[in-house]
Amino acid sequence: MRVNLVLELLDVPGQLLDVLRPMGRLGANIVAVIHQRDVKTDEGKVPVQITIEGDEETLNRVIDVLEENGIQIMEVDGVLRREKITTILVGNIVDQDLKDTVNLLNQLPGVRVADLDLKMSDPPERSASKIVMEAREGLKQEVFKKVNEIGDLKGFLVINEI
Amino acid sequence: MILMKIVILGFGAVGQGVTRVISLKREYLLDKYGLQLDIVAAVDRSGAALSENGLEPETLLETKAETGKLSQYPEYGVEGVSGLELLDEVEYDCLVEVTPTNIEDGEPALSHMQKAMEKGKDVVTSNKGPLALSFTKLAETAQKTGTNFKYEASVGGAMPIINLAHDTLAGSDVESVYGILNGTTNYILSRMAKEGSSYEQTLNEARELGIAETDPSQDVDGWDAACKIVILANSVLNRECALEDVKVEGISKITPEAMALAKKEGYLIKLIGEASQDVLEVSPRLVKEGSPFAVEGTLNVATLKTDLAEDVTVVGKGAGSIETASAILSDLLNIWNSG
Repeated sequence: MRVNLVLELLDVPGQLLDVLRPMGRLGANIVAVIHQRDVKTDEGKVPVQITIEGDEETLNRVIDVLEENGIQIMEVDGVLRREKITTILVGNIVDQDLKDTVNLLNQLPGVRVADLDLKMSDPPERSASKIVMEAREGLKQEVFKKVNEIGDLKGFLVINEI
Repeated sequence: MILMKIVILGFGAVGQGVTRVISLKREYLLDKYGLQLDIVAAVDRSGAALSENGLEPETLLETKAETGKLSQYPEYGVEGVSGLELLDEVEYDCLVEVTPTNIEDGEPALSHMQKAMEKGKDVVTSNKGPLALSFTKLAETAQKTGTNFKYEASVGGAMPIINLAHDTLAGSDVESVYGILNGTTNYILSRMAKEGSSYEQTLNEARELGIAETDPSQDVDGWDAACKIVILANSVLNRECALEDVKVEGISKITPEAMALAKKEGYLIKLIGEASQDVLEVSPRLVKEGSPFAVEGTLNVATLKTDLAEDVTVVGKGAGSIETASAILSDLLNIWNSG
């Protein structure tokens, strides 16, 4: 059987090789690789489409190993594996320990803060921060709950997705 | 041809809109439904105009425009009569309750509606305060007395949502409902997104244009949207709840910085009301640019999530005299058709 993967890789040398090497080693047959370095995601990553062939067990093993190695698999056969979750916080973001805010989110299993944007204001209580997280499919409500908790704790206005 | 006698309590923008619509549609209603809608009484702060044989809609509107007082209606004007007293004296079929809304105790509208239904009269209203505070009580009274109790105009003005869920989507189970239910805040947020202006500045502009009221707190603090989400939760989700159960956050803390960050990621910030079996809240949320929720100006929009039909989204004018009156007229016709 065949499977189509969509990955997002950092734009640094050796990344693609790190993905392809375990595929060959585990016995999957690489059918196609579409890699355009000049197409980037908002976070500056390079989307790569790879089609591999093999028996079901091998293909599942490949996906597991890639994820263990920290490779981000966005889609498997057109089905989203990871989703982006965006939230905006308004308040005294920096004084309320930004690092701690990020850590609290990263502690959720299957969730990783992927992008963070901060606009300071004067007075600082009106600063705003955009946080983009990547999470396993289906975790959205759980993430929003956590963000609301953090907002209550630190006195932020939380603006979640609908 | 059959006659339906109505009493209009409250003669502000909505009361006048209903009167105008009745005048505009007189021939249409006769031709299409064989219905003659007679206004047998209309009440404002000054008193009332009443006539068993029906008042002239145009004269009501002219009297109000020229003197500001319905009690000055030629021949049939009466000073200082209250709505409650009047409901005892007049012979009528249906009460149109459109007095100014009160979200503290729902009065006097609550007593008006209770009284009408207890006397076996149907009630149509746009008045969200009493519904948000005492929905269960009103619905029980309607059931006990076998009267029709209709309130399409109380949520989203002309945007059809309650009757859409009850009638058109009959058979589908509505799991949740969410929407932009307040035009004033949507205007302010749309302008902020477009101009990059501050909240205070934009609110002042909205005030100058008459879009925001002098005291805009009910709108900008989210209470108006909260009333509507309570009405939807009760009527569409069969969830017994009242205004005090809603978690409410308004738009006053939204900054141009937050707007700019949202935009960068392809989002807009909107004030969203949401109700499901375990959620009841009004809060600023992110909606995708280019989605049905990216409506501008004073438009309202709502989505019903259902088991069979999946998502159904409606957009419409959330306020306005004639627009709101259109929803009241549709309720009157529904009552007419069901009788």
